[in-house]
Amino acid sequence: MLLDLSEEHKEHLAFLPQVDSAVVAEFGRIAVEFLRRGSNPKIYEGAARKLSVSSDTVQHGVEGLIYLLTESSKLMISELDFQDSVFVLGFSEELNKLLLQLYLDNRKEIRTILSELAPDLPSYHSLEWRLDVQLASRSLRQQIKPSVTIKLHLNQNGDHNTQVLQTDPATLLHLVQQALEEMKTNHCRRVVRNIK
Amino acid sequence: MEGSSEPLLDAKSKLLDFQWKLGMAVSSDSCRSLKYPYVAVMLKVADDSGQVKKKSFEMTIPQFQNFYRQFKEIAAVIETV
Repeated sequence: MLLDLSEEHKEHLAFLPQVDSAVVAEFGRIAVEFLRRGSNPKIYEGAARKLSVSSDTVQHGVEGLIYLLTESSKLMISELDFQDSVFVLGFSEELNKLLLQLYLDNRKEIRTILSELAPDLPSYHSLEWRLDVQLASRSLRQQIKPSVTIKLHLNQNGDHNTQVLQTDPATLLHLVQQALEEMKTNHCRRVVRNIK
Repeated sequence: MEGSSEPLLDAKSKLLDFQWKLGMAVSSDSCRSLKYPYVAVMLKVADDSGQVKKKSFEMTIPQFQNFYRQFKEIAAVIETV
């Protein structure tokens, strides 16, 4: 699979052949560091002064590099596809080799960082339960109605939420029994075996 | 006039429904054998935009007795007005 680079992206990357490969290597290092810890605009200014260009040019160059690396890592494109994608930029063979090495060296770590960006649904933390017997209500006196009250503790993005739920024991038992029976089917057994 | 310990009331909210039940907790994950009576209240309130919100809470018997005493006082004061 080839990367489809936009005209704007190609323009930003066009800055790279205008500097030494040592500088490109440094930009690569900065790009990965920004992916790890977030960007730091002051770095652009320092580099811009040293290279006698505008800090926008440096920023676009580094961001172009970041995007190239994240898109390639996201799609897990092969070495050959990466080389072919970069080939359209018309860079020197030395620069192409440098970019390929940058991709191969960092793609595993970049994929780990990207995996943390997936939306986080609430996850189970713990459960508190209580078995109650309802003796009377506004509408009916002299009752004996059992119910189960559950306090579900959930985690989401580091926050702790609780949900209070209530049901009658027959429904709860039915749900749990259904779930347990479903676990015993061949289909579920196969899935569980593969997860373990 | 100083509002010393006047309750802050959202006078635009309306109480739509007041349901209650008396229950007894007989067992929980932390204690297998209980005999804990409580009063559970389920309120339905409409805010000034008309949106209906449900709020429920529980009270122990002593808490409920305190709750009940408030209403007895309110009823007594209304008689005098």
